[in-house]
Amino acid sequence: MIRTVRKILLLTGKDLRIEARTRQTLGLVVMLGILIIVVLGLGLGAEQKIPGFIATAILWVAYLFGGVLCFEKTMAVERHDGALAGLLAAPIDRGIIFAGKLLSNLILMLALAAVVTPVAIVLFNFDLSAAPWGFVAVTALSMFGFASVGTLFAGAVSSSRLQGGLLAILVFPICLPLVITSTQILIGLFRDGEALGAQGLGILVAFDAVYLIVSWLVFERILEP
Amino acid sequence: MDATAEPETHAAANDAPETPSAVKATGLGLHFDDRRILQQIDLDVPPGQAVALMGANGAGKSTLLQVLATLIHPSQGRLELFGETIGPRSGGIRRRIGIIAHQSILYRDLSIRENLEFFGKLYDVVAAAERTREMLEMVGLAPRADDAVKTLSRGMTQRVSIARALMHDPDLLLADEPFNGLDAASTKALEALLRRIGQAGKAVIMANHDIAQSLALADRAVVLRQGRVVVDRPAGEIAVEDVLCEMSAR
Repeated sequence: MIRTVRKILLLTGKDLRIEARTRQTLGLVVMLGILIIVVLGLGLGAEQKIPGFIATAILWVAYLFGGVLCFEKTMAVERHDGALAGLLAAPIDRGIIFAGKLLSNLILMLALAAVVTPVAIVLFNFDLSAAPWGFVAVTALSMFGFASVGTLFAGAVSSSRLQGGLLAILVFPICLPLVITSTQILIGLFRDGEALGAQGLGILVAFDAVYLIVSWLVFERILEP
Repeated sequence: MDATAEPETHAAANDAPETPSAVKATGLGLHFDDRRILQQIDLDVPPGQAVALMGANGAGKSTLLQVLATLIHPSQGRLELFGETIGPRSGGIRRRIGIIAHQSILYRDLSIRENLEFFGKLYDVVAAAERTREMLEMVGLAPRADDAVKTLSRGMTQRVSIARALMHDPDLLLADEPFNGLDAASTKALEALLRRIGQAGKAVIMANHDIAQSLALADRAVVLRQGRVVVDRPAGEIAVEDVLCEMSAR
């Protein structure tokens, strides 16, 4: 178990080291996220205070599109110079490669959220104080499920020439139930003033578990050198 | 020689009965849809033997190396590495295999040292940093250890790739065009290294377009044509012209 965790951290550490050196993914993803927020904010009327539940929906659009870019970029690193063959030829389970990539994607998505969310707070006068921890919990749980599916399909389409559009087309419909559930919970928190209940969190955890297990199992069958 | 004819097989003279073969392929075949890439490959390589894998472009050399590296599952036949039958859960055996491929299998944005240490840790190399220093000395790149791989020339990158493949001291080295991009001095050094690897009891299977060089380095010559083994003989018993003739025969 410890060996497995070490290998996962080794893979994630490598991805983050490459990202720290090149800043290719995070720079691009943050720019895209901010752009989405600004454009949607202007479209909805910049002078008005945008209700919290709409602000969270706009944030989700930024997280989703930014996330797809994260998935693509972290897998693209493995396609340069045949590096993926090096991982596949190593004495590790392919599930470890999946877990390493998932962790890298989650960290990048959380970094995206850490930058983009304050921008939305300022731009939309979004009052996060109504349910700050509820927002964090729902966002983090939803990102986990989304990243699980995204990591799986990024592996599947990484050898395809259609990468960009194809990944979004595959991931968004599959994650739709998760996104709908997540936004419903956020509407309850920010529009209706409901407290975050165990039922809502339970549904998100169940989605995460299903997405994670299925993605983990399928990942090893779809990777090609 | 007819493409469908049975090849002459070179039985390993120095194969001790209790030592399992490094590679034992029996009736190995690979097809994608209707295309047959490999057909009825039988290959028994004992530890310490160097095999030169030769053939025209598209003969199946690189694919066979990928199958032997467990990167591609064969459609037919049976593959044993060091006595272990290869299946979907044979990941552990990969610890004993080193690969030099067409591509460098390196991360271009990481330094040479970071790459070698990463792959060392991936293979559970004890004291990966120390082993990295040894490998850097071996390939003559210690002064550039902290340079990113993307700043290296083709030849230097190939030397790093060789160091990566040998980081975990594999018992079986699968080398696909290992001399690509190397200058004369590096070529000589790699030739000497491959001889030392063989003398250390490790098996080497090498695909190389330079037939004379392959025959000089190998104990055994295997020629592939249209995915089949058409020649399997001691390297000293076959001339370059014969290999060329077998490669191009219809």
